[in-house]
Amino acid sequence: MPYWYYDKKDLQNTPSFRDGISNETENRYRKEGARFIIDTGSKMDLGYNTVATGVVYFHRFYMFHSFKTFPRYITACCCLFLAGKVEETPKKCKDIIKVAKPLLTDQKFSTFGEDPKEEVMTLERILLQTIKFDLQVEHPYGYLLKYAKCLKGDRAKLQKMVQMAWTFVNDSLCTTLCLQWEPEVIAVALMFLAGKLSKFEVVDWNGRTPKHNAWWDMFVEDITMDLLEDICHQVLDLYSPQTQQSGGDSPPETSTSKPPKNEKKPPSITPPASVSPVAAVATKPVVTPVKNGGETKTEPPKNGGVEIQLSKLPGDAVCAGLQRTTSWGRAAYSCSPRSTA
Amino acid sequence: MSGASASSTSQSPPSMASISDFSALFQTAKKYEELNVIGTGAYGTVYKARDLHNGGQIVAMKKVKVALTEDGIPLSTLREIALLRQLEAYRHPNIVRLLDVCHGGQSVERDHQLVLFLVFEHVEQDLESYLKRAPGPLSENRIRSMSYDILSGVDFLHSHRIVHRDLKPHNLLVTSTGRVKLADFGLAKTYDSEMKLTSVVVTLWYRPPEVLLGVSYNTAVDVWSCGCVLAQLHTRSPLLPGSSDSDQLHCIFRLIGRPPRHEWPDNVAIVADSFPEYPPRDLASVLPRAHPHALNMIKGMLVFDPAKRLTALDCLEHPYFTEEPLT
Repeated sequence: MPYWYYDKKDLQNTPSFRDGISNETENRYRKEGARFIIDTGSKMDLGYNTVATGVVYFHRFYMFHSFKTFPRYITACCCLFLAGKVEETPKKCKDIIKVAKPLLTDQKFSTFGEDPKEEVMTLERILLQTIKFDLQVEHPYGYLLKYAKCLKGDRAKLQKMVQMAWTFVNDSLCTTLCLQWEPEVIAVALMFLAGKLSKFEVVDWNGRTPKHNAWWDMFVEDITMDLLEDICHQVLDLYSPQTQQSGGDSPPETSTSKPPKNEKKPPSITPPASVSPVAAVATKPVVTPVKNGGETKTEPPKNGGVEIQLSKLPGDAVCAGLQRTTSWGRAAYSCSPRSTA
Repeated sequence: MSGASASSTSQSPPSMASISDFSALFQTAKKYEELNVIGTGAYGTVYKARDLHNGGQIVAMKKVKVALTEDGIPLSTLREIALLRQLEAYRHPNIVRLLDVCHGGQSVERDHQLVLFLVFEHVEQDLESYLKRAPGPLSENRIRSMSYDILSGVDFLHSHRIVHRDLKPHNLLVTSTGRVKLADFGLAKTYDSEMKLTSVVVTLWYRPPEVLLGVSYNTAVDVWSCGCVLAQLHTRSPLLPGSSDSDQLHCIFRLIGRPPRHEWPDNVAIVADSFPEYPPRDLASVLPRAHPHALNMIKGMLVFDPAKRLTALDCLEHPYFTEEPLT
C-alpha cells in the first residue's frame, strides 16, 4: 500500500527541486494550485470534501513530478475533476474548464493547449497512475467536529473556536501539511491554535481520565507541544507578508515568458492572506520559528512556547480577521449542525 | 515512477503535447511480467505474474477492461477502486491482499477503453482444487475453521456494504496454513455495465433463487452461496449442481421445497406453478456426517426468502461456532 507522508527532507528534495525550481517557488506553486482548486470548486458549489480531496491529489502528484513538466493549473483542474467523481459530486470536464478559464490569465490558460478537455482527460490517467489509484482521502474536518463534540465549555465560544479551526483547515490546504501528518494530527493542532486565538480554554471534556493532560491525549497519542507548534506555524506562515510577496504571479517558465498581461488576481473567496490582519501580528518575529529540521519530535520540549507566545497576540483582532471566512467554509460548517450539539 | 520526471533541456514553456508524450512513460504493464492464465471468469482474466519491481514476487493480476465515457473513467469504477483500496487498510485475514492498481495506458485513444490491472497477492491453491486433492473427508475441526474463515470474510465485506456476488470454491483461496481468503470481489458495478455482453459460462451452482429469478438482491446472496460452499466442505462435492438456469431452480426446490405462493416474488416471468410441489428434504440425509449445529446453520442460510435468511454475522454467532472453541 502506498504511504503518503514525507519528512521535511523529502519535501525539500522534490522532483521540482531536482529540476531546478527552488523550494520557495515550489511552495508558491503549490499554494497557487491549491488556492485555484479551492476557488474553482467554490464557484461550482463543490463541497469542502471534494475540494480538499482534489488538493491532496495535487500535492501528492508533485511528489512524483516536476512543475516544469506538468503546469500547475491544468493539473489542478484535473485533480478537481477526479475528486468530483471519487466524492460522487461529478462535474463535467468541459464545465470545470469553463469555470477555470476566467480565473486565469490568457498566458496561464495557454498551458492547457489546443484541446484543453482532451489534455485534462489524458492527464487523468497519469494522475491516477501517480497517486496509485489511492483515491479515498480523509480530511481533518470530520475529526474537528468529532473532537469538538467532546469538549465542554461555553457553547458560543466553542462554536466560534470550531469555526476558526475550520478556516485554518481550509487554509492549511495551501501548505504541504497533508503530506506530513495524518488528518487527526492536523485537526488537533489547528483546534489547539484556534483555542489559543479565540481564548477558549478547554478545561474539561467528556471521556476525561486521570491519564489525560490535554483533551487531545484522548484522540492522538504522544503528540508533543513541539509538533503542535510546528504545525501551527506552518499555517500561520501563510498569513505572513514575506511569503506573500515573493515571486508574484509568474508561471514556471519565467525566463522566456512574456510578462503576464493581466495581473489581476482571481477573486479569492477564502480570506486572502495578504489583507488579513493576522499578517500584521503573526509574523515570524512574534512567534518562535521552528526551522525545517524534520526533528521536531526529538527536540526537548520548550515548555509550551506557543502558549506563551501566542497569548501575546491580540486575539480579538486575529479573530476578527479570520471571521471573514469563506462562503465555502461557512456553508460547510453550517452543514454540520451536530458539531455544537 | 518518480524517475519519470523528464529533464527539460530548453527553457521553453512546456507545450501541452508533452502530456500525451509523457503518458507513454507510464506503462505499468512493464512493472509486471505475465506468466500464465490462472482463470478466465465472467469479468476478466486473471494472470499469474511476476512483480519486476519487488524481487520477482509472484502475484495474481486481474485484467479488467473499462469502457471510457465522454468524461473519462466512469465514476462507478473509481468509487469501487477507492473502496477496495480503503478496505485494504484493514488487512483483514480472510480477504486476499490487494497490492496494486494500475492501468495499461496505451491504445486508449483508439478503442476508448482502458485496461485496468488489479494486482493481488498470489495464493497457490483455491478451495476447489483443495477439495479435489483432499485424500478423504475433512476433519470436523477443519470444516468448522474454514467455515468460520469464509463467513468472517463475507461479514467483513458486508459491513462495508460490499456484496461479493460470485462466491464459489474457485474464488476462495486456501493458504499453506489452511486459512481461507476471499478473492475476486469488488468492481461489481463495473463488471455489470461493462462486461455483461461477454458470453462466458458462469457456474450457477452457488446462485441464490433471487438471482436466478432476476429480482433485486442484496448481501443475502452471498449467504446463500456460502451455505452451498459450507455444505460442500462436508461432502467434497457440489450441493446443487444444476445444468441450466431453470435446472438450477429445480435443484434448489428439490432440496428446500418449492416455496409457498405468498413467498414468491412479484414481477417475475416464471410462475411458482411451473415447478412441481417439491417437498423439502431433510438436510441431514444430504450431509450425513455434519454436526447438528452445522446442519441447523446451513439450513438457515439456504432459505428462499432473502429477508429470512441468516446474515453472515448471525452465522458467526451461531452455536456451531460458539459452543465449542475453534481449534
